[in-house]
Parts: sequence; C-alpha cells; structure tokens
Amino acid sequence: MTEHAWRLRGGVAVAAAGALLAAGCAPGDGGAPGGGDLQGVQLKVAAKWTGVEQDNFVEVLSAFEEETGATVEYEPTGEDTGAYLGPKIEAGEPPDVALLPQPGLLEEYAAQDALVPLSGDAAAALEENYTDYWSDLGSVDGEPYGILLKAAHKSIVWYRPEAFDAAGVQPPQTWDDMVGTTASTLSDAGETPFAMCGASGWTLTDWFENVYLSQAGPDKYDQLTAHEIPWTDDSVVDALETMAEVWGEGDYMAGGTDGAVQTDFPTCVTQVYGQQDAAMVYEADFVAASAAEAGATVGDTAQAFPFPAVGDAAPVVVGGDIAVAMSENEGTQELLAYLASPEAQTTWAGLGGYLSANSQVQPDAYTDEFTQQLSQTVLDAGEDVRYDMSDQVPSQFGATEGRGMWAVLQDFLRDPGDPEATAQELEDAAQEAY
Amino acid sequence: MSDDAATTAPAGAGPDPLAGPDGAEGAPRRSAAARAAARLGSGAVQLLLVLIALFWLVPTLGLFVSSLRAPADNASSGWWTVLARPAELTLENYAGLLDNPTFVGSFWNTVLITVPSTLLIVAIAALAGYAFAWMEFPGRDWLFLGVVGLLVVPIQVALVPIAQLYGGAGIYGSIVGVVLFHVGFGLPFAIFLLRNFFAAIPRDLLEAARMDGGRELTIFRRVILPLGGPAIASLTIFQFLWVWNDLLVALVFADAANQPMTKALQAEMRQFGANIDVISSGAFISMVVPLVVFFAFQRYFVQGVMAGAVK
Amino acid sequence: MAHTPQPPDADGGAGTVPGPADPGPPGPDGTRTDEQEPGRAGALGPPSWLALAFLLPALLFLGAYMLYPIGFSVYRSLWDAPGTTFVGIDNYIRMFTNPPTFVALRNNVVWVVVAPIVVTVAGLIFAVLTERIRWATAFKLVVFMPMAVSFLASGVIFRLVYEQDPERGLANAVITTVQDTVAPAGDYPDASPRDGSGVEPADGGGFRLGAEVTPGDEPAMVPLVGIAADDLPGAAEPARAPEAPAGDAVAGTVWLDFTPGGGGTEGAVDPEERGLPGVGVRLVDADGATAATTETADDGTFAFEGVAGGAYTVELDPRDFSEPYAGVTWLGPTVVTPAIIGAYLWVWAGFAMVLIAAGLSAIPRDALEAARVDGATEWQVFRRVTVPLLSPVLMVVFVTLMIYVLKIFDLVFVIAPGSVQADANVLAVEMWRVAFGANDQGLGSALAVFLLVLVVPAMVFQIRRFRRENS
Repeated sequence: MTEHAWRLRGGVAVAAAGALLAAGCAPGDGGAPGGGDLQGVQLKVAAKWTGVEQDNFVEVLSAFEEETGATVEYEPTGEDTGAYLGPKIEAGEPPDVALLPQPGLLEEYAAQDALVPLSGDAAAALEENYTDYWSDLGSVDGEPYGILLKAAHKSIVWYRPEAFDAAGVQPPQTWDDMVGTTASTLSDAGETPFAMCGASGWTLTDWFENVYLSQAGPDKYDQLTAHEIPWTDDSVVDALETMAEVWGEGDYMAGGTDGAVQTDFPTCVTQVYGQQDAAMVYEADFVAASAAEAGATVGDTAQAFPFPAVGDAAPVVVGGDIAVAMSENEGTQELLAYLASPEAQTTWAGLGGYLSANSQVQPDAYTDEFTQQLSQTVLDAGEDVRYDMSDQVPSQFGATEGRGMWAVLQDFLRDPGDPEATAQELEDAAQEAY
Repeated sequence: MSDDAATTAPAGAGPDPLAGPDGAEGAPRRSAAARAAARLGSGAVQLLLVLIALFWLVPTLGLFVSSLRAPADNASSGWWTVLARPAELTLENYAGLLDNPTFVGSFWNTVLITVPSTLLIVAIAALAGYAFAWMEFPGRDWLFLGVVGLLVVPIQVALVPIAQLYGGAGIYGSIVGVVLFHVGFGLPFAIFLLRNFFAAIPRDLLEAARMDGGRELTIFRRVILPLGGPAIASLTIFQFLWVWNDLLVALVFADAANQPMTKALQAEMRQFGANIDVISSGAFISMVVPLVVFFAFQRYFVQGVMAGAVK
Repeated sequence: MAHTPQPPDADGGAGTVPGPADPGPPGPDGTRTDEQEPGRAGALGPPSWLALAFLLPALLFLGAYMLYPIGFSVYRSLWDAPGTTFVGIDNYIRMFTNPPTFVALRNNVVWVVVAPIVVTVAGLIFAVLTERIRWATAFKLVVFMPMAVSFLASGVIFRLVYEQDPERGLANAVITTVQDTVAPAGDYPDASPRDGSGVEPADGGGFRLGAEVTPGDEPAMVPLVGIAADDLPGAAEPARAPEAPAGDAVAGTVWLDFTPGGGGTEGAVDPEERGLPGVGVRLVDADGATAATTETADDGTFAFEGVAGGAYTVELDPRDFSEPYAGVTWLGPTVVTPAIIGAYLWVWAGFAMVLIAAGLSAIPRDALEAARVDGATEWQVFRRVTVPLLSPVLMVVFVTLMIYVLKIFDLVFVIAPGSVQADANVLAVEMWRVAFGANDQGLGSALAVFLLVLVVPAMVFQIRRFRRENS
C-alpha cells in the first residue's frame, strides 16, 4: 500500500469531499473504555501517516492521554511499514502499537511471535464493535490480534461530470453499461474514457478485486485469498476476461496501452482532473485529495459513482490500516481498546480524512455527505464487504513492486490477450509465495 | 569557470588532473597541407566536443528549469518551452520545500550524517595510515594487503548482519548507526590512500624528528599531518561527497525521522509524475552542496576519485 | 590513480596526490624511481604496541563492519527466511531458480558486459579528442561533474529525460520532432468510423466507404467519431449533406457524427454536428487506380465532377488520420536497461576520461613521433602505439567500472518506474528487496554472498597489482 506520499495529501482526502462543514464536532468527551490510571506510562505507536493524517491521529491519541495520564509517542514509519518494523522486531524493540497496512503482514508477524494477542477490553471492543468478518480478518488461528482502525473505500469510480455532459452519458449502474455505453459513447465523443494508474501495481490489483468480488462472489473471494482454489480457476479467468474489455482497448485508456502502464498514481488522477485527458479514473476514496490538488472541486467538478456491478451485486472492497499490539507493556491493550471504541472513531470521523469500519460509528459522525454515503455502503454491505485481497496475501505476492500480482497484472495490462496464461502466471507466483 | 576553480584551489595541491597538457601547442609540426587538414579536422572535433558537452549539460539544466516551474506547467509541457515564456518561472517549489518539515529535517539529517562520518573516517584512517607507513610491527604487510582486499567488498554483505547487530544495540534507524556504517565501509579506501601518501614522505624528515626525541603522536601531528594535507583534503572531499550522496545505507539504516535527503526524495519517486515539483527542487538542492564542493575543490576531488579506481 | 603512469614531466614530488600516493612513484615502465624504503622505521622506531594503538580504532571498525558481516552473511545464507531452520544451500538454489532473481542475474550480465566497455570507450574517445583542444579543462569539468552529484539526482535527471510524453520528455521530444519533420501527423489522428455506418478502416490508417458508388448516386456520407469537438480546426462549419449530385458527379460529406452532449441520430447529419475540413478524398475505380482526388470543404462536403461511369470506392487519405509518432518507450520493459546504461555512461564517462587522459599524457611523445616518422597514419599510431601503451590504465578503468557495475543499485532503483522494476532488476536491488522488503534475510544473505564472490577476482587483481608495484 503505497498510496500515501510524504507530504500527504491523503489527510484532507475524504474531508475535502462534498461541502466541508466546519468540523465542529467536539472531541470525544464521553468516557472511553480502557480506563485505569496509566500515569507515567509511556507508549509508542507507529503508523505511516504524516501531515494532516498524522495530526488528526495525534489528536485522537491525545484524548486517551488526557483520560489515562499515559504519554503516547507517535512515530511515522515511512512508506514501507514492513521494512520499518522488520529490523525493530528482530532487535526486540518494536513500538507498542503498530498500524499494519496489510493483514498479510499481521499473519507474518503473528507467525514470528512478534504480536501480542488482544485481551481484556481490547478483545471485547473488537467483538462488540466489528462484524465477524473484521474480527476474523484480524485473527490468526482463532486468536484475535488486529483491529481495522482506518478504512479506505476502494469501490469507487471517479469521473469528470463535464466530460460526461459533453458526451451525454450518465454514471453507469452495471459493468456492461460502463463498458458498452458509457465508455463507448465517451470514446465516440472524443473523450478518452479511462485514465489508468498502471505503474502503481496496487491500483491494478484493486481493479481485479472489485471485478472478482462482484463476479465470483464473496465466498470465492475468500477461497482465492486463502489460496484454497488455484488462480487458474475459471472464475479468475472470467474476471480477467471481463477486465480485458477495458484493458484491451488501447483507445479507452489515456496514452493508450503504453501510457496506461507508465502512469502512476496519482498522475492518473491529474490526467482526469488536471489535464482533462480522460473522463474516469478508478481508485479509492483518497482520490479526493489528488483531485483537489489537480484543481477540481470534489463534489462538483470531481464526482464519483460506486464501482458498478459485474455480477449480481456491486462490490464493496475496503482497505485500511490494522492496529496490533507488539509489546506486553502496560497500557498497550488499554490503548487498543480506546482506539477500537466508537467514541475514539467518532472523534476521528469529525476531524475528517477518516472512514471507519466500526459498525457502531454512524454515518452522521462524518461531516460531509460523501463520506456519509461511503460509510453507508460499508454498513449496508454488512458481511459481504471484503478487505483488499492483495493486502491479505503474502506481501511478496500481493504488495511488492515488480513481483506477484503487481507485475503479472501490469503485464496483463500491457497485453491482455491471453487471460489463461495470465492466470497461470498468477498461480506460479502464488505458489512461490504461499 | 574551470580556471577560476583551479585558482581558488589552495596552492600546493599539485597539477590539476583535469588540465592536461595544452594539446594545441603540443601538436607535432607537420606539413602545411597536413596542418590545414588538421585544422579542418580540429574544427570538426571542436564541434563534436561542443555537442558532447551539451549532452552533459542539458539534462542537468532540464532538472534545474523544471524545479523552477509550477507543477501544472511541468505536467502540461516540457521545460524547454520556458525559452519562449520565461515569465512562468517561479520559486514556489523551493518555497514549498522550505515549508516542508520532512524535507528540511532531511537536509539537516544529511549534514548530521555526513560531517561526523567524514571527520571520523579521516581521523581513524590517518592514524592507521601512519602506523602502516612508518611503524614496525609483525604482520604489517599482510594486514595491509588485507585492507587492500577489503577495498572491493560490496556493501550488501554487511546490510543484514549490521541491521541485526544494530537491533541488538538499539541504534537501528538512528543517525549514529548510519554514521558508524559509513565509517566502517569508508575505512579501507581511506587507509589505503593515506598510507600510500604517508609512505612517500621523505624518510629524512621522520628520522630527524625521531632523532630529536619526538614522540610518535608529536611526529604524527607536526610532520605527517601538515605534509599529508593534500591527501587528507582529497580524502575529506571524496568521503564527504560519497556519504552525502549515499542512498542505500540510508535506505536500510535510517528510519523516517533520521532519513537524509536522498531517502526522502526516493520515497517521492514512487509518484514521480505527481511529485515532480518536490522531486526536482529537492534533487537540485541536494546537488547544490556537492556541486559547490566540486567546483571549489575540484582538483582534490578528482584526485580522490582517481585514487579510488578499483575500489 | 595511485597506479596510473605519471607524466614524466609531472613533478612527482610531495605535491601531487596521485604521485606520492605511490610508494616511490613508478615510472611509466612500472619500475620504482626512488630508493626510499617506506616504513623501515629503523632502530628509532616506536614499539609494536604503539602501532597497535594507532591501528586499533581502524581494526575495530573493519572487524565489526566487514569481517564479521562476511562471516555472518555466509552463515545466515544457510538458514531460512526467519532464521529458524537450517536449509543448507537451498537459498543458493532458489537464487538461480526464482524467476525475479534470475532476471536480476541476467540483467547484471548485460550490465557487466556492456556498461564497462561503453564507458571505457567513451572515456578513451573523450580523452583523445580533448588532447587537441584549448578548452579541454572546461570540457573535462563538465563531463566529470556528474561524478560529484548523487546517483539519485542523476536518476531524477534521467527520469525527466526519458519521460514518455514527447511534450515533456526531452529524449522523445527530440526524436519526435525529427520524425514529425519527415512525416507530419494528420489533423484527425483519433478519428474512428461510426459503428454500423458502412465506413471501414482502410490500409495505411485511412478509411473507406464499404459500399461502392456510381456517379449520380445519392451523396456518399462518411460519418466519423472519436474526435473531441475542441480538437476540430477553427474553420470547421456545421456539416451539411450535399445536393443530389449530377449524373456525372460523386458528392458526399465527411463529418463528426457526434452531437455535443449526446443525442442526434447516428449516421445522419444533425444540426450541431460539424464537418471535417481539409480531408483528402480519393475516388478509386474498380481496378484500384485513383480516378480523382479532392479535399473536403469547411462544412465537410466534397464533390467530384465529370466522372466517367462505373463503380468507385470513396477513400479518405490516411495522411489526415496518421497518429503522431509517440517516441520510444524508454522506460518500458524492453529498453529500460539500455536506457539506464545511458544514464550510467553520463555519470561515469568523466571518471574514465580523466584517468585515461592522465595515462595519455604519460605516453612519451618520442614513441609517437618515431611511429609517425616511419610513415604510420594517425589511426595506426593510435592502434599500434597509443592503445598498447595505455593498456594498463584501460585495464584499471575497466576493472573499476566492472566492480561498480556489479554493485549497481541507485540508478536502477531510481530510474525504473514501478511497473518495470521487475524488468530492470539487478542483483543489488534484488538483494535489498528480498532482505528488507520481503524480509527474507536468508535469501538476501545468499545474494550478498554471491555478489561478494563475483568481486573476488577484482580483489585478487587489486592485491596482485599492489604487490607488484610494491615489490
């Protein structure tokens, strides 16, 4: 997960969406659970957030500090959380709480005995506030370790209304509409339908996950994630064939096939909202920040529609950062319990740039309409929401530049001619990694 | 420009390796026809060399101009279009960098890493170089051959072991760790260079000093260091630039709070197209110090690099 | 360097760094020229323990940062990723069977074979050419400058140069400018036929009407789409269907069959649709010969008068639809390694040039003159005299470059975009990725050890050269 850059951006992301009402929500004055007197206790929390995202998180932490008397120090991990934590674990001095961008890492660390299972109030908070899917996601062998703290909604297609108006098209409801009507009409009107972010491999895995989740269904999605069915399964080939309806059309992608593979995120967003070279770009809620930077007004000149249904139901894929305990120090579990609470997350939601996966956090906690809608889709999808697959599989397969899914899907974007061969390559890479 | 640079270099540094013998005058006498042909050929050679020089200069110029353009301009047109519209140049990118605590912090980290590493390397290597050159002890020649052998050891070999070592010592991610690593890997070359230079100091001077009853440390300070000035200068500049420009060591051993500019900029490269404003101005700032050092002390630097052949 | 032949006239005295760096600077023939015995401290010399004290800090560092790591890496490379299971040489086997690592290995071979030669040759050429010009120092300064800046900065510089879009990347801007002068792009590169209109693509990128026309027929309508309304030439006027042509005439319209904002009837000229001016139209007879040519007017209409009877095909000139040349995909999977080698040349040519130039100036003029007097051409002198005399220097340059090329990291890491990192991979990058990205320190250590083994020949070369010069 590399979507956040140093001078973040991501922070204002979602908050920028829609009418930015004054973020007047008072920080949670309700008593957070956890309690206990932690006077003098020092805790370290590490996450990759910087800039506004960091400020907001620190503010959420400060409520915990006030309440318990503990001191919480925040450490930015830089882009590569694995590279940051790996040696610290080896050295035996990890932070007390870390935010892992991938459940894949969670499993690796749990296998290395580098994590401390959730206990007491923290385990209870996970149980109470999250659906079973999220509890399972943060568990290894039935032992709960992680809490999805900050979610990113990954089933959104962003578009430029002006381009849609010029071509006389509406946001599509289904994949077939999107490809058959929306894209082809845009193309006839001389508008390139899509900007692709092919140089950033994770955006391609996100495409796949949405198509696959909607087409093959949540059960298959889970089986494939666990590698219980091989990547050569027909469902994978079908999904690839579906994707090729867009990826195979050089004219549908800004800069043609070559351009699609060479464009990184968020340059692709700039292509839509800055240079106006394309009409749509698929990526997550955090596109809002890049769109705003490219000069668009989110909610007005930059709008989004839900990723259209390929099969029966539209997919809801969520990514995000998972909080885990890495030490047995006093206060660690209390801090996690606090972070998992609806109070802390409601505070955070009021600060903006935040989406919760907590079932107890109501849509009205968010200050803008757009995030409220996103939150509603997550709540509505309930147990059918799925976490980003590429972040659940071993990172070598799902989240490494030049490796596994990233590399194979980039090759597929370059030449989507042979979905079966691509499925085989994915399977080979998976074999190597699992 | 180069002449200025040459004259600003302290005297006594020896001939400038960049300034070869003046070929035009050194050319052998030939017949009139041959001279005419030579002149024509020389015209072609001059033109070719001008083109080559442009090939070396223009890319750097491109970076500099890009760093002076607003992100939107860079996204929509090439830097060379400013030739037609010089008005669009702006210092905004640089202003933005100065407001960016991560970048400013990384600049100071670079300084905090580079200066101590360089000083430590020079100090430790000077002592060792002197011992290898002018002190007698068993196994000296073999030990020195060992140092020569270590010159080419790839840094990769040490990454994993030292990362674990640092973990145990609690200095993983810290500036101290990065500095010590640079010292460790800079030493073989530094010792090699200084030992060879010290060994060439006239023996009489040393004998005389020892005859006068000078203690080794005094001799080292009074005789070796002053005479070794040029070599020490070369080494200092070479190491300074080497550490300043390092990416790999920082990538592995410096965490986000202690990262130098190279690592901070590298992180931005992942979104090259979108971050070109930060990247171009940041890269240029990271180049300024090396370029100033290079042009001010170029002869020392070139000599240091030449001494580094087969490292 | 320390071991470059010194110019005979250069003062080898205490002033020069390269000079004194040699214990008794060797002459061009490699023999010692002074009788000094460095290091023979004599009776007055200090005791061994003092020497040890001087050496101690250095030895501690070398032990901790080089000797211990070498040992530990070898040991670690025999264990699995978390370091809990002994796996013998498994990691080494994986190194050669794991596809990404294998790509890295293959690329390293390309690098080692190509880059040192290219750079040495460039350095030699520059060194020889600059011998004859007055501004040699300035030239050398310029070419040497990249050695002073970081590979990261050089990488950024070349990312800019290699940018795909000819509007922004210098390399492609130059190439496409040349190309466009030779074969300019058409006005309507994005055009495509309206589906179901009977217009089909023709050879060479033009379009043709599928149905044949005969003089006096209904107008030949050619609806095209895919052109943004903003991209139409300013002269374009609302399209119009021509009057029914006379008996010996063929007429028609080429227009943008898309009503802004949607709506309109496909294949019919709607009020807001505009014609495509200036499109070349050809009337091709049954034998495939061109009977007549014309161009569309501002409203998209065209007409051929006085056409002989028979069936014709209406074709649009491919030149009006040709795509602009997009340039080379420098950072695509196929040429990314050569492209990065180009950047490498840019960085290192100065190094090779300076060393070789120092060697050149040490060649005795007499030898060259003697050859010339014997009637040798300049090329022969260069081949038979200069290069052989230079060969020790060339060897040093070449070996040095080879060592650095084996360990190349920054340039590849920085220049190759994410999507081609796999194609540009080299061992040093792979080692970092495996050990610190995938946290497989077993395989990472094996790769490090492998790199070490690769530089051992250079180590031997280095030690032998040193001993020869000091014996």
